[in-house]
Amino acid sequence: MPHSSAIAPAIEIRGLHHRYGAREVLRGIDLQVAPGQIYALLGGNGAGKSTTLNALLGFLAPASGTVRVCGIDPAAAPAEARARLAYVPESVALYDHLSARENIDYFLALAGAERGRSSVIDPALEAVGLPGHAWDKRVGGFSKGMRQKVAIALALARHVPVLLLDEPTSGLDPKATLEFNALLATARARDVAILMVTHDLLSAVDIADRIGFLAEGRIEEERTAGPTGERFDLNALHARYANPGVAA
Amino acid sequence: MVIRIAQEEWRTLLRNRAGVIATMLLVALVLVAAFVSLERRTRIEADRAGYQASVDADFDKQPARHPHRMVHYGQFVFRPLAPLAFFDTGVDSYTGNTIFLEGHRQNSANFAEARQSSLLLRFGQLTPAFVLQTLAPLLLIFLAFTSVARERERGTLRLLRAQGVDGPRLVAGKLMGHGAIALAIGLPAFLVLIGFAAMGMADWAPIALLILGYAVWLLIWAMLAVVISCFASRSRDALAALVALWMVGVILLPRALPEVAAVETILPTRIETEVALHRDLARIGDSHDPEDPYFNAFKQRTLARYGVSRVEDLPVQYAGLVGMEGERLSTDLYARATNEVSAREASQNARVHGFAVLSPLIAIRQLSMALTASDVTAHQDFLDQAEAFRYRFVQTLNRMQAVLIPHIGGEDPRVSAENWKRVPRFAYQPYDPLRSNAASIGGNLMVLLGWLVGLSVLATLAARRIGGIVR
Amino acid sequence: MSRWFAELRLIRRSYLSLWSLALLFALSALAVVSGLQHVARQHATIERVAKAQAQDFAAVAATHGKPDGDAGDAAYYSFLLTRDAPPPLAFAAIGQRDIQPYVLRVRALGLQQQLYDAEAINAELALPGVFDWAFVLVYLAPLIVIALAHDLVTGEREGGRLRLLLSMPGHGLWWRRIGLRYALVMMALGLPLVAGTVLSTAPLAGTGAMLLAAALYLGFWFGVALLVGSAVQASATAAAGLIGCWILLTLVLPTLANAAITRAIPAAKGVDLTLAQREAVHRGWDIAKGDTFERFFLNHPEWRGREAFEGRFHWKWYYAIHQVGDETVATDVAAYRTSLLAREQWSARAGYLLPGVAAQSVLHRIADTDQAAQLHYQDSVATFHTTLRRFFYPYLFADRPFTRADFERIPAYVPRAPTGSLPLAPLLALLATAALLLAIGGYRIARVSGAGRA
Repeated sequence: MPHSSAIAPAIEIRGLHHRYGAREVLRGIDLQVAPGQIYALLGGNGAGKSTTLNALLGFLAPASGTVRVCGIDPAAAPAEARARLAYVPESVALYDHLSARENIDYFLALAGAERGRSSVIDPALEAVGLPGHAWDKRVGGFSKGMRQKVAIALALARHVPVLLLDEPTSGLDPKATLEFNALLATARARDVAILMVTHDLLSAVDIADRIGFLAEGRIEEERTAGPTGERFDLNALHARYANPGVAA
Repeated sequence: MVIRIAQEEWRTLLRNRAGVIATMLLVALVLVAAFVSLERRTRIEADRAGYQASVDADFDKQPARHPHRMVHYGQFVFRPLAPLAFFDTGVDSYTGNTIFLEGHRQNSANFAEARQSSLLLRFGQLTPAFVLQTLAPLLLIFLAFTSVARERERGTLRLLRAQGVDGPRLVAGKLMGHGAIALAIGLPAFLVLIGFAAMGMADWAPIALLILGYAVWLLIWAMLAVVISCFASRSRDALAALVALWMVGVILLPRALPEVAAVETILPTRIETEVALHRDLARIGDSHDPEDPYFNAFKQRTLARYGVSRVEDLPVQYAGLVGMEGERLSTDLYARATNEVSAREASQNARVHGFAVLSPLIAIRQLSMALTASDVTAHQDFLDQAEAFRYRFVQTLNRMQAVLIPHIGGEDPRVSAENWKRVPRFAYQPYDPLRSNAASIGGNLMVLLGWLVGLSVLATLAARRIGGIVR
Repeated sequence: MSRWFAELRLIRRSYLSLWSLALLFALSALAVVSGLQHVARQHATIERVAKAQAQDFAAVAATHGKPDGDAGDAAYYSFLLTRDAPPPLAFAAIGQRDIQPYVLRVRALGLQQQLYDAEAINAELALPGVFDWAFVLVYLAPLIVIALAHDLVTGEREGGRLRLLLSMPGHGLWWRRIGLRYALVMMALGLPLVAGTVLSTAPLAGTGAMLLAAALYLGFWFGVALLVGSAVQASATAAAGLIGCWILLTLVLPTLANAAITRAIPAAKGVDLTLAQREAVHRGWDIAKGDTFERFFLNHPEWRGREAFEGRFHWKWYYAIHQVGDETVATDVAAYRTSLLAREQWSARAGYLLPGVAAQSVLHRIADTDQAAQLHYQDSVATFHTTLRRFFYPYLFADRPFTRADFERIPAYVPRAPTGSLPLAPLLALLATAALLLAIGGYRIARVSGAGRA
């Protein structure tokens, strides 16, 4: 990862507006995520989290505002933008009849990787901590946590600068959540810019460098963890989160 | 409880818009097919009756002639279409419907519709039978493939179990629901048939059996769909399996089997039959050969019968008698050849019918064609009647020659035109399938009922299996 | 390339796809075997008939081939065999050959009373139609296409993979998947056909044309699958909708079209001309002989002046009566043919709207096994009949004896030249419908978005 990108944000959203018919779902979102940073976008149902993700994925063209992934507009050049990001859906679904290895291999091929895919798959599976005996098992029998590991392994194997996570901790048991947090730390250490969209305050507090509160299409507030590792005040955050729309 | 489950199934189906539309389309198609086919039958029947009347009138109008000339002027006969043929045209399009009857020759029935049509005909003909046999099973599959698999997929099976619904009751309810729907789908066609009988256009007995047969046929598919739905772990698998069964049983087997049958039993061509026949006739004797033992013996018998010693003393024309004897001999040979060929055809067909155990379509098709008098047996009956008539009218003319010619004499002896009216005309005796084809009808009904019984056994097994899964 | 291999691996691991393709391959192979068998049976029948016919002819020659033999007797008793051997590609598309006669004996009597004679067929076996490659293509292959392509999008959506798939870089995922399935279906369907062609040493060009028609027809079905698959939310709905399309396009609409065509274009002229010919022939016995000869000389002036004979009967008069009978109904014959051709034409036109009908008519025209082929055969029989008549006339009108040696000189039927061709109109119609459906389907599927909730 070139050092300059540590300055330029890998994910940049400015003044993002979007509406579905008459309903305005995004009313001016601004956020930046730098390489090596984890940004947690918190919000309840209907706050606009998915729409923001869709804009980053190039699934929709925003009504107004700019969206950039590594400087690329996903709506205008979706393929280029997607080449730089990895997306982990809320409930990771893969090809059940393929093994973990085969799934990653397939998606890598889809992403355009030609030869030597196996040389990146094993280290990635190793890195996400999927037990070795499971690598060649069909993912049909995998738990949610294991599937997520496969998806993150895919993201790591692709060596992309941006990681988008959709509700990553929902449905994970406490142990899996801990493992997941460790995993994100690994990715952060590799200078990946990570945006996670979630309604799980606890998990966000545990791992995020920055938290944005999204309510009714706006980021009402942003908090940043201190540079010396001081964490957030959970009680204050919870009050903030539970009462959107009330000025802090 | 069972009725409640059936009611619930009906409610679900009523909410399935695609299913309701498809059902209505099918019902519409049955009615359109009935209407179109009825109109077609009426038209064909009028055409044929018109032709028959016109050729009969032409025969009367022939001038004074030597009777043997009238033997070769011959008569055309047209096969009347059975009233119920509108419901199932059967093989009518594939068999010739008119035969030219003349002396010492058995001509083929010609101008089959299929020979005069483009390949489009091979897609099938739009009759109520086609809709019920081919399309209705697919509709029943679409309505019922999710019946049980859906409950399993959505986890409602567990819920029902908690409410005290056990496997047998659930399956019985689903079967009742879809069985009723199957009968409802058949109802418009049944009403058409009943109306037809009520108007006196057909007998009640074949109509009742026809309705019974199709009701069983539709029930078979409803049951099959429910049973497969019980065994399948996903609705999708049930659909794939049912469509595959339909494809093999309704579309594939009926087409693939005839080739097997045709290879196993060779059907001789008419040409071979003719050649063999001429050889056999020549073997019996040559009436023109004065030394021929057979015809010499015939001469002796004839002279003895009339109590004279010379041909010249006979009160009748000897050539006419020889003609009658020749006609008798050739007709015998033709009958033998015809029996041989139709035995071979029957053995080919029996080969296919054997597979009714695998594909109930074969049974319902046979049953339907038999009861609507549009099967090969009914056609053969027409051919037999035509042949019997041919022999009668040719011998009538030969007798005229023998009896009348000696009294006329002269260079060019002709029998007056008045006599042509005395020559019999073809009067088709309506074919009664129940009398002539009872074995086949009963057999096919048994096969269909056997399917129903077999599926009931399977349904019981499926019900037990469901109980097991839920527990 | 690597993307294609990845897709191929994915198909290789899908049971439904594998089974569908294996089933298609097996059906296609079975159909080719069955077709080859059917064709072999027809060849064997022709051989058998030729043998029986040769014996019959030899017997006639022995009976009537005397030094002072009468050509009239010879012509009356000599049947000549005509035959229409299956064209090389008939095994793939048997068409009407199972119900149309391919052997017919004619003699120098009126042709119109001989031409329409039916051969012995088992109507019940003919009723369901033949099982050949064309049937597999027109009826069954679309069902396999449906099995392979109905859940292209809905399957991914239901599997929860749609957003992940769409978040991957690169273009053409759906086209790659469709293209691969298309190629595999064509292979499963086409390989047995090519093998059959090689086995029966049929021209590969014809097979190529058949495969082209198949490719267009299946392209149409893939287009329909794309269109329906991108329009609905659930795989089950897509499958039901597609099978509905299949029922409509291959079962319901063709039968309706057939009912309409049969109704609109009656073909009763066949019966009419037979009846008229009979009246004409038998009237010949009752009218003055000079009238018959006058009519005969209109088309056979070379025999004028040779008509006189003593007594009540002479064979030349008898054959003149028969020829005049044929000529009297010439307009009816033309009308009958026209009605048959019109039915054929309207069926082809139905193919502009119904791809299955178009594929059917293209394949059978290439194979030369349709109604047109049967009419060509009838034409060749008519030509032969003319040759036969004209062979006997010099003996009859010049009162030349017909000896044993003359039997050897009786002309033999020359089989018609194959007339199989590539009909452009239905092929273009197929191309147009396939291109249209693939374009619309492709447009719709390119717009499938991951924005909706998975």
